[in-house]
Amino acid sequence: MKKTAYIAFLIVSALVVTAGCKKPYLPPVVAVSSNFLVVEGLINTGSNLQDSTIIKLSRTVKLASSNSSNPELKATVKVESDANVSYPLAETGDGYYMAPGLNLSAANKYRLQIITADSRTYQSDFVQVKNSPPIDSVKYLVKSDGVQININTHDPANKTTYYRWSYDETWIIHSNYNSHEELITTPFDTIVFRPAADQIYRCWQSHIANVIVLASTANLKQDVISQNELTSVASTSEKISDRYTILVKQYALTGDAFKYWQQLKKNTEQLGSIFDAQPSEIPGNIHCITNPSEPVLGFMSAGTFSQSRIFIDNLDLPLWKATPAITGCTVDVFPYKDADGIDEVRTFLYFGHEIPLDAIQPPGSPISGYTAALPKCVDCTLRGTKTQPSFWINR
Amino acid sequence: MVFFKLASAQDGNKKTISVNFQQAKIEQFVSELESKTGYHFYYNQAQFDSLKVTVQVTDKPLETVLDMAFHSTDFHYAITQQQVFLTKGRVVQTELASGFFNTQPATETTKQAAVITDYAEEKQQKVPVATTENKLYEIGIKTNIIKSGTANLAGYVRNIKSGEGIIGASIYDPESKIGLATDQFGYYSLTLPRGRHTLIIKGLGMKDTRRRIILYSDGKLNIELQEQVTSLKEVQISAEKVANVRSVEMGVNKLDIKSIKQIPTAFGEADVLRVVLTLPGVQSVGEATTGFNVRGGSADQNLILLNDATIYNPSHFFGFFSAFNPDIVKNIELYKSSIPEKFGGRLSSVLEVTDREGNKKKFTGSAGIGLLTSRINVEGPLIKDKTSFIFGARTTYSDWLLSLLPDAYKHSSASFYDVNLDISHQINEKNNIYITTYFSQDKFKLNSDTAYGYSNRNGNIKWKHNFNNKLYSVLTAGIDDYRYDVSSSANPITAYKLNFDVKQTDFKADFNYYLNSKNTVDFGLSSIYYNLNPGDNEPNGAKSLVLPDVVPAEQALESALYLGDKYDITPDFTISAGVRYSLYAYLGAQTVDTYAPNLPKESTNILDSTGYKKNQVINTYHGPEIRVSARYALNENLSIKAAYNTLRQYIHLLSNTTAISPTDTYKLSDPNIKPQFGQQVSLGIYKNAKANTIETSVEVYYKKINDYLDYKSGATLLLNQHIEQDVVPTQGKAYGIEFLIRKNTGKLNGWASYTYSRTFLRQNDPNVGDLINNGSFYPANYDKPHDFNFTGNYRFSHRFSVSLDMTYSTGRPITLPIAKYQYAGAERVYYSDRNAYRIPDYFRTDFSMNIEGNHKVHQLTHNSWTIGVYNLTGRANAYSTFFTEQGGAINGYKLSIFARPIPFVNYNIRF
Repeated sequence: MKKTAYIAFLIVSALVVTAGCKKPYLPPVVAVSSNFLVVEGLINTGSNLQDSTIIKLSRTVKLASSNSSNPELKATVKVESDANVSYPLAETGDGYYMAPGLNLSAANKYRLQIITADSRTYQSDFVQVKNSPPIDSVKYLVKSDGVQININTHDPANKTTYYRWSYDETWIIHSNYNSHEELITTPFDTIVFRPAADQIYRCWQSHIANVIVLASTANLKQDVISQNELTSVASTSEKISDRYTILVKQYALTGDAFKYWQQLKKNTEQLGSIFDAQPSEIPGNIHCITNPSEPVLGFMSAGTFSQSRIFIDNLDLPLWKATPAITGCTVDVFPYKDADGIDEVRTFLYFGHEIPLDAIQPPGSPISGYTAALPKCVDCTLRGTKTQPSFWINR
Repeated sequence: MVFFKLASAQDGNKKTISVNFQQAKIEQFVSELESKTGYHFYYNQAQFDSLKVTVQVTDKPLETVLDMAFHSTDFHYAITQQQVFLTKGRVVQTELASGFFNTQPATETTKQAAVITDYAEEKQQKVPVATTENKLYEIGIKTNIIKSGTANLAGYVRNIKSGEGIIGASIYDPESKIGLATDQFGYYSLTLPRGRHTLIIKGLGMKDTRRRIILYSDGKLNIELQEQVTSLKEVQISAEKVANVRSVEMGVNKLDIKSIKQIPTAFGEADVLRVVLTLPGVQSVGEATTGFNVRGGSADQNLILLNDATIYNPSHFFGFFSAFNPDIVKNIELYKSSIPEKFGGRLSSVLEVTDREGNKKKFTGSAGIGLLTSRINVEGPLIKDKTSFIFGARTTYSDWLLSLLPDAYKHSSASFYDVNLDISHQINEKNNIYITTYFSQDKFKLNSDTAYGYSNRNGNIKWKHNFNNKLYSVLTAGIDDYRYDVSSSANPITAYKLNFDVKQTDFKADFNYYLNSKNTVDFGLSSIYYNLNPGDNEPNGAKSLVLPDVVPAEQALESALYLGDKYDITPDFTISAGVRYSLYAYLGAQTVDTYAPNLPKESTNILDSTGYKKNQVINTYHGPEIRVSARYALNENLSIKAAYNTLRQYIHLLSNTTAISPTDTYKLSDPNIKPQFGQQVSLGIYKNAKANTIETSVEVYYKKINDYLDYKSGATLLLNQHIEQDVVPTQGKAYGIEFLIRKNTGKLNGWASYTYSRTFLRQNDPNVGDLINNGSFYPANYDKPHDFNFTGNYRFSHRFSVSLDMTYSTGRPITLPIAKYQYAGAERVYYSDRNAYRIPDYFRTDFSMNIEGNHKVHQLTHNSWTIGVYNLTGRANAYSTFFTEQGGAINGYKLSIFARPIPFVNYNIRF
């Protein structure tokens, strides 16, 4: 009853205005610099290049800190098997450690060992290899208010049971206005016709999902995932205003790993307010050997993942109108010489306040000025990239 | 029908007469006797209409003649000097009365001076009222030699002004060390050795008194007590304070409304629940809540009874006011340890709130005006000395307070009212009927269009029947209903109305049997039928597109049988032992999910679901509950007591907020949710000092709780069709030591208590769900180890007194996020172990002055003022702490409710 509770909180707050008060409060614990190791990644047992084992190491930061990333550098990281074989990972920077396709046998169990720069040893439990079955299909379903993206998969051996998915979305965005003119600064400031290579009207934007999607088939007779919703895109979203793609990665989890991810998902939704449900942490399977009481965050799994990509084109969807992502755009006119004799092109466009769209050129006359708009309305590279991603397939 | 009588001993007339009456009428009978004896007869002719006397004697004293004439009739006589009083139904006492409190004439036929001393066990006979301390009351059939053995004395202890029974008054014979407390009706039944006794009688808020009796055989004695008037002079201290040292009960705190009214509260209105919080072993999670925690129990483990009606939500206005009207309440009693067998269904405590009975003698009333609330009460006789009513009502006009708030709260409103109406009727000496009703309604709206409302509705009827001196029964039938609704109508498309309702229909039969001087037996049965509608969300209005969402109603029947005996093995050693067997049946219509064994109850693990028909028994839980306590008196002023209790609870409050919120939901035990089971063992030492004006006690306890429900992270409790998936059963343990020192009399009175207590919960079964804190014990939300309370009242004069209240406690535990990090593409927070941290300690001092108007008896109204300051030191006590993200950084805040001194004033009139 979170909402009511919140109302109760409001009433209390209301009385606080007359009688009570809200004061900043820094509990002693928050002031203590927390510095717990966070381990994220998968011991990838596959053999292909795409099956690299990538481990990200970082440290927790204070709640009050404005920066939430704190990579753990210069650690020695290796994968060990229960047959006493070890596979080192190379540091690739920014807290990432990598080994290409290890090609590990599913008959063995594996663990991750980390020795940090300050000589503290961390180890995961030995985990069994859980390979993800292939994704049967990723399908989208047109609904009245948008598109729902579902996944279908199954394990004929009935062994997978617990599934986790992550996904990356990429889609084409458009600026509000298409610019056909551009400012060049060499040899001197001038506005010229914009070549196709410099277009800033159409870009690709992408997003790595930060939601955790889980499903279990523990209550089913067969290990079948059918029409499990991954995400949905609103009909008004810019994502599906042209062309959209989603890459879904499917991981198989052990029961313990499933619980860990489920809890992580729940705890993400709340942040210690008074009437909230009690949060609680589930310890992961990584431990500090040097100091067993030190908490280590993260859960290590081993196995392979499978992936699938689909494209959704606006032409296949109903006639939905996207809400512009950028608002407050107008087309302005900048003459070389205005009523007061001021060169507005020089004053506004040469200094980049606005980006020219089209030249104003009455028939038979020289260019008298330009239409222009604010950069956010014109330059899609401010929000995305104009380089077509390698995986992109046009319709 | 047997008729006993005893004649006055001082009549020495031995003159004999001879008479012969055949079917003589009273006039004939009297005139012949008057002429033969020279005595004058007094009688009421109307009463003697039906009398036909047939007596033939020769040379017998007048007494014999009268004995024979009235044998097997309802008529009595009394002889004094040269006068004979003939009465029907009662006997004239010929001794001079030494007191003058008894202003009502004993019978119409007697002169003012005559007082009755005849006691008879007869149906229509009135039991005399003993109001005089120095008089010797003779009980039973008088014999020249007092027989050995014991006899029973029973009757009511009543307030002389209002005629209302006094609950928990102690009657104690210091010689035999036999004593007991009156029951909820003011009734007592005492078995004493025959002979002379001086009984010490003490009632809460009443003047102590004593009665001298000679007990010949079984008989009755009603005792009227005077109210303890505001006293400048030292109150008369009598020899014994029975309750603290002598009673067998442990962990029982009793407070009358006078003590309650002395304690300053935030808005100046006496608050029953606020006072409960000053008692040792009672804690709350914060200021704006009336949910309270007793000895490590959760707030829903308290059975709150208002005249035997279960009150589900004991608060108004988010806990700023308690649901009990202070003008109607007579006293409260909190059972923390020895819970009588007749109570059950909750694990931690029983809080009995008892309303006054209406004044049986005259119409009176009172009214109070405060800053936020006003209240009125009226009471009086419907039939003098037989039937009375009491009516109380309160309402609030707090909207003005909300309108003072910033614009953001301008459109808020909050209001409540409550109404009590109780009627008590005495059919005759042996049969009494009590009807009590309570209705409360709260409504509030907070700047949004969402309106909240909740309501308590209670009504019950009680019939008390005395079979004889030793055995009486109370039959109670009642309905208790608590409901709330949340509705919104601003947007016609999304307008909704959500209703919740829990209703219980209960029936109880309680018997009390005073077996003999050593044994008092209680037995009875009770049955509660629950009908719980956990929530249904309906569209509100024709345009609404809201899909109805109904969580199916639940039904259950909770029944119990109990038997208990209080056994005085020796005068110094008493054991009270009882057993309550409770049987709970969860009933259809219902659909119940079956979960895979040894797997957490999650949607992924549902194997099957089974439908049940209406009133089909789905499953049952049952088991005995043991209630044992013992008391050993080491000497007059010192005793030790021990108790062991087990209890079962079948209805659970589901709240994942720390404070009780008005819209928390309830759940009945079902195949997936086991009943809670609690056991407590406690030990205490009780000592009275300074001629019993000071009571002290030390109690220790250890408690274990099984299957207490705690919540999974992110649990959704309302409109949840599978609530078992969001809760986890936990084990609890609690222990503590409580010190109490209390002074009830004198200019300075009050109490101080200190409690050290801990409460832990544990969830260590991985098959049930996620382990909490690695399966180790963690402190419960209301675990506040140190708790100190002082409540004092100093009376400067009859008209002026001051009260001071001080509270200190450790801050309650909270779970804090202690770090943040990046994981799986997003920022995550890392929480400490559950309840690993605490909010800052709590300290508050309140002060109030009570100013009474003049004390002239004969004036239309009496008035009084209460002026005071809540939170005198203005300490900004943290109610809670919370964290919120601002500008990319997470900041912590501390929320205080009364962060500065709150002055208040209240005006009361009595009429």
